[in-house]
Amino acid sequence: MTWHSFFDLSTMPHRHLLFAYLTVWVIQGGYFAWTAWNWVNVRGGRR
Amino acid sequence: MEQRTPTLRSVAWLWFGISTAVLIIGFRQAIFLVPTDAAQGNVGRIFYYHVPIAMLSLIFPYINFAASLFYLYWRRRDPLKALTADALALSTAEVTVVYSSICLLTGMLWGRATWGIWWTWDPRLTSMLLLWLLYVSYLMLRRFSSTGQTQTLAAVLSVFAAVDVPIVYMSIRWWRTQHPAPVFGGGPGSGVDPSMLPAFYWNLAGWTLWGICIVLFRFSLERRRQHAEQEAALQAIEASLEIPQ
Repeated sequence: MTWHSFFDLSTMPHRHLLFAYLTVWVIQGGYFAWTAWNWVNVRGGRR
Repeated sequence: MEQRTPTLRSVAWLWFGISTAVLIIGFRQAIFLVPTDAAQGNVGRIFYYHVPIAMLSLIFPYINFAASLFYLYWRRRDPLKALTADALALSTAEVTVVYSSICLLTGMLWGRATWGIWWTWDPRLTSMLLLWLLYVSYLMLRRFSSTGQTQTLAAVLSVFAAVDVPIVYMSIRWWRTQHPAPVFGGGPGSGVDPSMLPAFYWNLAGWTLWGICIVLFRFSLERRRQHAEQEAALQAIEASLEIPQ
């Protein structure tokens, strides 16, 4: 498989392969970004 | 604590870097190096993300379960340790929802392409959906409950939710319906072609390292929030003592 066929949207199986990988990156990346955003905005207290 | 912070930060960045590198290797293996599946074609490559993430979505609930038991044990004996256990329980519950959501969505995309259906009320799919609902309800309880006993209620719910994990695991062994039979540990005839194993193990390692990374990051965030709350409470007490009588 190549980058070209990975982004091939001509058939349903190819689309679903790409969507499955995108789903993983978007959800994992989104959760990481949400945690990082909160980390920046929550001020740490006295330890 | 202040001296340990730069070291911990360096270890965290190193862990993040290693996780990302292993995930990139795993992606390269799964998409470019593994031969195309003879029966399914390229859509079979969803296997390398779906299966490791599904396996991990059954591991994090047990950490949540253990942390909840420690919380229940320590909540009166040692409240500071109980807060630490509660932060770990919360972070693993969130990561369980992340991993089980991905498992369900990638499974639906794969199922539509190979079975021709998005969903069926198969025992594996149904028990996995139930697991997802249980941990979503755990997070909703923590977010919206105002009883003052939220952490205790959540810990008890976590104990009940953990019961579903072995049911999800065993569902494809007890009942044979739509979902494929176990690929690993399924007895004679199970297993995959050896050419598939490197991609599978790289992705399993990558998503494991990444999962530990985000659990620890979320745990640190929750501890930071707890310290901030304690700081605010202390300041309120100090301010009330300074009011002239």
